[in-house]
Amino acid sequence: MAPTENDIAIVGFAQTSPDRRTQLTEADLVLHATRAVIADTGLDKSEIGFTVSGSCDYLSGQAFSFVQNTDAYGMVPAINESHVEMDGAWALYEAYVRLLQGDIDVAMAVGVGKNSNSDPSTLYTIEFDPYYLTPLGTDTWSLAALQARALLDSGKATERDFADVVVRNRANAKSNPYAQIKGDYSADELLAADYVRNPLRRHDLPPTTDQAAAIILARGKRAYDFCERPAWITGIDHRIEAHLPTVRKDITTSVSTRLAAQGAGVGKGPIEVAEVHAPFSFQELIVAESLGLAASTEINPSGGALASHAVMVAGIIRMGEAANQIIKNGKNRTLAHSTSGPCLQQNLVCVMEGDQ
Amino acid sequence: MADTVQEFVFNLTFPFTRTLGSTLSTFSSALAQGQIIGVRTGGRVIAPPLEYDPDTAADSGSDWVRVGPKGTVSTWTWVPEPTNLHPLDHAFGFAFITLDGADTPMLHVVDAGSESAMAAGMRVEASFKAPADCVGRIDDIIAFVPATDPSPSEGAGEPFVAPEENDITEMDAYCDLTYVDNASPTTTMWAKALMEGRIIGQKCPQCERTIVGPRGMCSVCAIELDESHVIDVPDRGVVSNFTIVTPVQYHGQTETEPFVRCSILLDGANAVIAQQEILGITASEVRVGMHVECVWAPANERSVQDIDNRSRGSGGDAIIGWRLTGEPDEPAENYLNRMM
Repeated sequence: MAPTENDIAIVGFAQTSPDRRTQLTEADLVLHATRAVIADTGLDKSEIGFTVSGSCDYLSGQAFSFVQNTDAYGMVPAINESHVEMDGAWALYEAYVRLLQGDIDVAMAVGVGKNSNSDPSTLYTIEFDPYYLTPLGTDTWSLAALQARALLDSGKATERDFADVVVRNRANAKSNPYAQIKGDYSADELLAADYVRNPLRRHDLPPTTDQAAAIILARGKRAYDFCERPAWITGIDHRIEAHLPTVRKDITTSVSTRLAAQGAGVGKGPIEVAEVHAPFSFQELIVAESLGLAASTEINPSGGALASHAVMVAGIIRMGEAANQIIKNGKNRTLAHSTSGPCLQQNLVCVMEGDQ
Repeated sequence: MADTVQEFVFNLTFPFTRTLGSTLSTFSSALAQGQIIGVRTGGRVIAPPLEYDPDTAADSGSDWVRVGPKGTVSTWTWVPEPTNLHPLDHAFGFAFITLDGADTPMLHVVDAGSESAMAAGMRVEASFKAPADCVGRIDDIIAFVPATDPSPSEGAGEPFVAPEENDITEMDAYCDLTYVDNASPTTTMWAKALMEGRIIGQKCPQCERTIVGPRGMCSVCAIELDESHVIDVPDRGVVSNFTIVTPVQYHGQTETEPFVRCSILLDGANAVIAQQEILGITASEVRVGMHVECVWAPANERSVQDIDNRSRGSGGDAIIGWRLTGEPDEPAENYLNRMM
């Protein structure tokens, strides 16, 4: 296609090794990811008109932790910079919108999370409703399990279906050099494990990962300066449901995913590959159904969020993986999804296309 | 080395007092009296109540409804090993419980004894703390327990008349989280040097700036720096900036009198060492341009126990502070417009 000046593409993606426990700081991780993507695209950092990151103070246990991370950008002379307390996928969304203003051509989006410093069974209690949920120590695993139980009781899925999602993702992850959890497993073997939160077993939960990832976006013809076959973003949309899962009508489906998919134009053509951000195994089933994907769509060839899950990074990695399917793997139309909040509260859907 | 901390545990603990607003004040004041309420809005009863209708964002109003104390489980999970933040110290369930008289569920704890007792459709009832211990917080309900009599709750669905003024308008909450960070290679280098009575920096091969303490990167050029870029920096320099802190007695503050924290530009360095203490003079006597030198703790008393990745650049208990050398001041204007 001949891009107009309002067409925005992903032209480069890099991620650090997904480690269970790194010795590096978040700033170190950001440096490694951004250096890699800058080298990959052949950019000079002075060409980046806007830099935006997604990270979380509560993962660091420190207010304004992202300020230290900006050391990694090299901010002399001063740069145009922003931050979201969200997964880097939302940083990418902000970068996309910023590029649409038309005065800059290149932007960088980053996600970083050193997850291993904290305990995922306690940390996210402060993410939830402070009046009705936090005083009960309501944890993210329990909330997911409540959703999973509702899905089972609805008859839409079985525990074996959950295990099958894990088996497939771990097998897919074998060909992903950036997967932390990979290998051949059988559903029977997985189903023999104890529950961590009935009906979820350890394998249904996301792994704990320390990681960073960075993506370069470019506008119009500039995209070809950095990439032979850019991944053009043809639709991107983000929808939010009520924060308190108890007031949603049906937590076995994802209304926000469905609306975001419509907004991003998912149904306008076949999707060859979908990279779905499902931290908990069964959520892949809910998201895939809500996206309206055809049976022919390949889901998570990377192994998805079950293969590595740095909170604040797993979503932007989906963006990068879906883009690489176009940039490096000859696919024509792919989808990336990212989620945030309790029980799939927020969902972002991005559709990308390659030049035909 | 043994003196250098490899992992540090820190607790993030801070108290909040949240104001509740009219809807949650009404809920809390009723709850402290043992009455659970919801609000009728958009043709249904939401319990616990929200200030707004989640579908339309309209004000929920004040059509209060008595709900519970019994209800029906719609979905559930089981916590075999509770954390320190969970309200019970033994295995329990979490469930969505639609209280009698309500149309939306509330999430709460079910003390059912065993996982096998949990099921969708089970009837449960609220078990409250002793009246004297109730503060109007959601955990005034210790847990829901299997209902001895599954019949509908008496009075559920009937209107609740709120008092003119609510007794409870605030809620105490605590954040209590534990982190275990590990020393990055750069932090370890810095701490080790301090134990040896050395101040180190890293010199960027590209811009030739020397950054103290080392950051593992040049924050101007955005390139990685490692051990090969480490240089010793003199333990003397000039005060480039300062602030006088009048301590507010917040949670954890141990200082009681005004004190100074200085940035010091060490001789030959391009980035300051920040948050330093000047010894031997009062806060009001500190000036930009003063020459100072490091006062080290005796080697056998040095400690870097509190040097973590977040406090890199601070001297821990290895540096006691900085004293005046007595040399004439440098002109203060030489230290204007510094960025680091």
